[in-house]
Amino acid sequence: MEMNDPLRRDEKKESSPDRHDSGPSGPESSRPGRDNLLKRMKKVDPKQTEKYKQRTGQ
Amino acid sequence: MNVPLLGLETEYGIIREDLENSDPVEESMELLKACARKSVFRKWNYSRENSHLDMRGFRVTALAQDEEEDAFCAADRARPYSYLDMKCDRVLTNGARFYNDHTHPEYSTPECRTVLSLVAHDVAGERIIAECAAIRNQELAGNPLQVFKNNTDYSGHSYGTHDNYLIPRGIPFADVVDGLIPFLVTRQLYAGAGKVGSENPRANHFRGLQLAQRSDFIETLLSIETMTKRPLINTRDEPHAASERYRRLHLILGDANMSAYATALKVGSTFLMLNLIAGGDKLPDLELADPVGDVLKVSLDKTGKTVLRRKSGGTIAAVEIQEVYLETIEKKFAGENPEWDWILAEWKKTLGELKHSPEKLSDRIDWAIKEKLFAEFMQSEGVGWDDPWLKSLDLEYHNLDPDRGLYRGLQQEGAVHSLLDENEIAAAVLSPPEGTRAQIRGKAVAQDADDIKSIHWTGVEFTNGERLDLTGVICVEEVEDVLNSKGQLV
Repeated sequence: MEMNDPLRRDEKKESSPDRHDSGPSGPESSRPGRDNLLKRMKKVDPKQTEKYKQRTGQ
Repeated sequence: MNVPLLGLETEYGIIREDLENSDPVEESMELLKACARKSVFRKWNYSRENSHLDMRGFRVTALAQDEEEDAFCAADRARPYSYLDMKCDRVLTNGARFYNDHTHPEYSTPECRTVLSLVAHDVAGERIIAECAAIRNQELAGNPLQVFKNNTDYSGHSYGTHDNYLIPRGIPFADVVDGLIPFLVTRQLYAGAGKVGSENPRANHFRGLQLAQRSDFIETLLSIETMTKRPLINTRDEPHAASERYRRLHLILGDANMSAYATALKVGSTFLMLNLIAGGDKLPDLELADPVGDVLKVSLDKTGKTVLRRKSGGTIAAVEIQEVYLETIEKKFAGENPEWDWILAEWKKTLGELKHSPEKLSDRIDWAIKEKLFAEFMQSEGVGWDDPWLKSLDLEYHNLDPDRGLYRGLQQEGAVHSLLDENEIAAAVLSPPEGTRAQIRGKAVAQDADDIKSIHWTGVEFTNGERLDLTGVICVEEVEDVLNSKGQLV
């Protein structure tokens, strides 16, 4: 794994969303992806955490 | 190397949604049994564990847990299972340990030498656990088993994500504590996974999203305990290495990050802080008057502008503490190597955006991703932070199921920063980090699993009586010596 390769990092930055310094993007809720995600969120059971009981860990 | 090895341990939440009373003992055991990856099963050498020694130079007779957990454990003893049955330890070909710890499936990464390889192995753990859940769900009708990479059940139960750093024993522990505390109190500004609401009475019925999941549960400065009175710095002295040379700094205050970028920044900044402390330079005096109280105080204000009282008098904003440390480390280590430069650059960018344009963090810092996502949902549905739906969404953000998890959905839409490519993750699922003793352990599992009698971080014992002691095998040269002398491990 070439984790320390600076060229690799540069390549990553080329495709990174944060390379675009045009400030905050506008509302994205009209994008199909956001619509899909909203649909996914609407499917979540509002009472899911009431059922989600865990035991204490470390 | 001042910090030769790094590791992450994550306890996952688990539930069977088709059962009225999901039993975490049974479900965690079944999940581990479902693992189809080549591994050494139920052969962890518990005789080499010693969690009762304290860094401050004493030994405790027992570790504490609350009354509820005492009762659960008493009931567990009546189950028809042995301790090893319930633990279900597996050691994988990538050198990781995958087992059950306090009824939570836990993935302990192999020891890594670089920050980004550690992040790849942490993500590999998510993949392996999701794979096990999918196999288990094939055995069950529907898709009832769900696993979560988070740290709370919103009802007062927390489970941990621990970051570990092997450091020279020669660094006085007091120097580590003094140097790290203000940094750790404020690290959550970018390392917090975000949590809807609070489980801490001191938060005065806080509404909204706080920075971190674990900040409700930090109650003291130093302690060997991990299940009650959780500390800012854990004092367990269990290096899993030659104790005269090393200590393992075991930090239990961190969150389980879904964002690999956030994990990289969390571990990377801490790694650089430890290198700074190890160098022996005089650190900026940022001692806080009430560091334990400040953990929650910082978590409840996402701006980073929370004003904290200094022990020497005066005050300082949370984000300023991070900036002072960053500046000090930049002066010392800029240009040291590409990975350190990457950490410094991203740390700087993140603090700058937190101060001036926090909305820009919403593609890579977990709490900021949640804030944007949940704001859109609240606007769409006309609900507020008090609606229980928001806590359920918060939980679902951490679901490993690719068809349900909200972070997984954001990844599928390309809406969050992608730090690692698929090849890197796939490699970490199968193979250990090179130049570490995990490489020796992983090779033993890959080649000689049937010949292994017992296995541990510090060594492997074979059925023919041969024993491979890895206690002192930390540096690359030490690893190479073992690999060169043991072409065939058995």
